[in-house]
Amino acid sequence: MNLKIGRVLPTTVAMVVGIFILAGVFVAEWPGKIFGLSGLINQVSLLFVSWVTIVAAFALFLGFANVISVHWSRIQTQRPGNLYSIVLLVSLAATLAVGFLSGGPNSDSSRFIFDSILQPLESTFFALLAIFIATAAFRAFRVRNLETLIFVLFAVIVLLGQVPIGIYLWAELPVIKDWILNVPALAGARGILLGVALGAIATGLRVLIGADRPYTDQK
Amino acid sequence: MTSSVLLAFLFLLLFLGLLLFFSARVGRGQKPSLRRIQAFEAVKGFAGRAVEAGRALHLSLGTGSVADITTADSLAGLYTLDYLAEQSATTGISPIVSMADPTVMLMAQNTVRSAYGSDKAKAAEAYRDIRWIAPQPAAYAAGVMNLLDMDDVETNIMIGKFGDEYLLMGETAARRGMSHVGGTSDPNVLPFIYATAQETLLGEEIYAGGAYLQKRPLHIASLLAQDTMRWIVGIVILAGVVATSLGIING
Repeated sequence: MNLKIGRVLPTTVAMVVGIFILAGVFVAEWPGKIFGLSGLINQVSLLFVSWVTIVAAFALFLGFANVISVHWSRIQTQRPGNLYSIVLLVSLAATLAVGFLSGGPNSDSSRFIFDSILQPLESTFFALLAIFIATAAFRAFRVRNLETLIFVLFAVIVLLGQVPIGIYLWAELPVIKDWILNVPALAGARGILLGVALGAIATGLRVLIGADRPYTDQK
Repeated sequence: MTSSVLLAFLFLLLFLGLLLFFSARVGRGQKPSLRRIQAFEAVKGFAGRAVEAGRALHLSLGTGSVADITTADSLAGLYTLDYLAEQSATTGISPIVSMADPTVMLMAQNTVRSAYGSDKAKAAEAYRDIRWIAPQPAAYAAGVMNLLDMDDVETNIMIGKFGDEYLLMGETAARRGMSHVGGTSDPNVLPFIYATAQETLLGEEIYAGGAYLQKRPLHIASLLAQDTMRWIVGIVILAGVVATSLGIING
């Protein structure tokens, strides 16, 4: 009985919420009136969407507990790199203390942490991408089969077509580069996107009809 | 605007009808033979390889959520986790699972609990390997790079929503010589995966995990429905091109 309730209740809730939110997308621009229900469906749909924020905020608390638990266990078991875990937990506690003592996330002290420590760190980290692209390109440019040969050939043409020296080598290179980007590359990307859209719709429909229940213990 | 809403609604109804139709057919045992996807074959061998090497297996679920437009990508990663968790329930080596969104963490915990069934002690052990890293993509990438460096990882799977930060993690895995499979739906990120992973799941292939790894009937039916819809969309596009070229309709 418990098993049945554990399966039926979440599935019913998920299906009803899903159908309302989907209906909300359609009724907003539906031609004509749907028995005067469009306003109600829209409101209920918006209410459900607003609840997502609350659930996500609560999930953040659980994520916070997960970070503390994982790193605390690393420190206790003295695993390699536990020093980083100590730094992480101390930074976490310090940021939390600053937030509480200085009057919330919009206070000057909290803003200082975000603007002068976190953002520069993130920017610096993303700047590493340039080096990583170079090493990844070096690996990708090793010709192993016909597929990689075509990959390298197209990459070299596009690279040379982008830089001024390409024009000096051969005036047609930028034209060929543009053709590669606008015809085969764009066609390929559109084909992938079409498949992705169909795959995402199929995934959504499976959840909507209750065939996939990733939110319950039972399959 | 209203005609496009009507069309979208009809499209969805047709898709649903096809899904139910193929589901009934697959249910009667009329299963199609699926083309081989090398990346899923590699994933099947990863759990065994990690056990043999006595080292860890890492699964990244990406930076997506289950509460926005990236839900389908996150679910694709969770289907792979479902398979790996079932494997780990028998092999005893649970995968290290990382993600950037805490809602995905809850789903991952649920998936692992479901795979272990009544064995609560083992499920609790596997829980410890589910790690929420950070919500920002850069911070998440930094955390995963550290994880790949420090946690003695043998095999690395990355399926979900990724942006440019993928390269930072993928390159770390490639540099350390890990067996590595990656997949995402964003065409802009696919070259990064192609350059760093041994096997790549291209676009929609990431959603086929349930059909390929677990042979779930509805997932197989869903692949058939997708293929039929692809043909319909292709024919409509082609008809539109011909009609526009002949001047029957205005471009």
